[in-house]
Amino acid sequence: MKGFTYNSVNEKVLGTLYVPSWKYWSFVALAFSCFLIGMTSWGYQIAVGIGASGDNHPVMWGTYLINFVFWVGIAHSGTLISAILYLFKAPWRTPLARAAEAMTVFAVLTAGLFPLIHLGRVWLVYWILPYPNQRDLWPNFQSPLVFDVIAISTYLTVSALFWYTGLVPDLAVIRDRSSGVRRKIFGFFSLGWTGTAREWTHYGWAYLLFAAFATPLVISVHSVVSWDFALGIAPGWHSTIFAPYFVAGAIHSGLAMVLTLLIPLRRIHGFENILTMDIFENVAKTIVFTGVIMAYSYGTEYFIAWYSGNIYERDIFLWRAVGPYQVQFWIMVIFNAVIPFLFYFKKIRTNLITLFGISILINIGMWFERYVIILSSPAHEFDPYSWGLFKGPSIVEYGIMLGSFGMFFFFFLLFAKFLPSVSISEMKEELALPKRPGGRGSDETI
Amino acid sequence: MKLFRKKPESAPRIVGVFAYVDDLVLAIRSAKESGLAIDTVYTPVRIEEVSDALGARPSPVRYFALFGAITGIVLGVGLSIYTVLQWKFLVSGKPIIPLVPFVIAGFEFLILIGVLFNLLGVVIMTRLPRFKLPKWYDIRFSGDRFGLVIKCGPDQKENISTLMKQSGAESIHEYGP
Repeated sequence: MKGFTYNSVNEKVLGTLYVPSWKYWSFVALAFSCFLIGMTSWGYQIAVGIGASGDNHPVMWGTYLINFVFWVGIAHSGTLISAILYLFKAPWRTPLARAAEAMTVFAVLTAGLFPLIHLGRVWLVYWILPYPNQRDLWPNFQSPLVFDVIAISTYLTVSALFWYTGLVPDLAVIRDRSSGVRRKIFGFFSLGWTGTAREWTHYGWAYLLFAAFATPLVISVHSVVSWDFALGIAPGWHSTIFAPYFVAGAIHSGLAMVLTLLIPLRRIHGFENILTMDIFENVAKTIVFTGVIMAYSYGTEYFIAWYSGNIYERDIFLWRAVGPYQVQFWIMVIFNAVIPFLFYFKKIRTNLITLFGISILINIGMWFERYVIILSSPAHEFDPYSWGLFKGPSIVEYGIMLGSFGMFFFFFLLFAKFLPSVSISEMKEELALPKRPGGRGSDETI
Repeated sequence: MKLFRKKPESAPRIVGVFAYVDDLVLAIRSAKESGLAIDTVYTPVRIEEVSDALGARPSPVRYFALFGAITGIVLGVGLSIYTVLQWKFLVSGKPIIPLVPFVIAGFEFLILIGVLFNLLGVVIMTRLPRFKLPKWYDIRFSGDRFGLVIKCGPDQKENISTLMKQSGAESIHEYGP
């Protein structure tokens, strides 16, 4: 943060909010078109019925649950960066935090659609909510699917509030430098924030408590998602390692997505002095750490399958590696647990092209990890009579998958241009306090 | 704790604009020593030294959060128990009230209600939202300047202006009732 003053931080970040170019709008149009394709596909599925997805026994969930878990995972590093690293006072989190939090909110929004999509009759979704109906039929609070509803809705609420709370002082900065309708809009959303000492004191406490609540939440949410599988008795799923394994995987994919989003953002917004190479290097080092956990988890799964002597466990893990899903399996292993170790080399982790390329490979690898876990176990359970392969994805599933990426990038592009993508107030906190040169009247007071 | 906002007071105010935080802190301390009524201090960021000079105490927002968290866990576990007691199904010989899965509902409700009360706490304590900015608010306070607002009686104007000047105020403004 060398060479910055309070005003230059304002100017630098607010400078990204000027009228966007046609290139920006063309990306927005592309993302929105993909989103429309997704919505059309979903509309078609609603009209025709869930059979339009092509998903069938025994692999009933198809790609919908893959995408659900993938997007929940992407959401996780946002909270890791904004909350956990905040509590640990890691200085490199500040320039990343805002965009990572936004990524979290949009990823959870995207993830939350998939259970609705897979319901088929989406208009009955309220049946899963705990409300007193005339027949006293409550949702089963012992079911992992109800855990999921509670956890994901809590995560969406908390991450959205955390993100918005952090935005309020920055929205006031924009309000003060705008006029007309823009001033009115930002004035409304900044809630009349003026930066009084009273506001900062209570805000500081509230922000700290938000971080304190969000930290265990981030661990619990993906643990709960993992129990969707681990509480089932299917071979390959029924394992106590699932919660930490899923949490580490979520952070692994989320950090990779942070790189995927922020490397172009840095270039487009000219944030070279803010999103420095040191920050990306720290993210890459954290990816090495999560990569080690992934490699260890993959190894442990195989060791336990062999060591337990359980023939069903041994069979499913052998089948994953050499059976019909072997391509997906080896993509998962190589992209998640081998390629990240390239970041051991300083040359690779300090080169934007390799950072960007490897981050995309990890995203692909993590998508295929969910593919392997979610699709292989129900396809190859205890009874050979019920074995069957996933035949898809169908065209409807492809459309919805494309739509989910379109929706995510559409929201992120709007965020990057219309809201400060770096936290102005937190950036200023990183700077040295402006003190009178020579310290007139200051030495005895501070 | 005041839940309802008082009507805006009509006392005149002197506003000092400062470029340096050490000058601002000196002015706050001098004003407190002189027994003047500090109305507001504006800073572009959260500054510990300013809070210390003002003698700010830890925010009661934490009690809101604590109350919300306790309410949440009671609500989550209570709702889970209440729902199973509606039918009392015995499943696989497991207890009617299996506490282990209810820990999850309790935990998630703890977080959710705790966060909502945390938000409520900050909204109440900061007295936001505010639909009209004070007339003495200067947009430089969200840039690189600090502001000290002191309420004054008719015979204090001169003293306050002098105090601010001596502390290093860049400019001083007076706002009538």
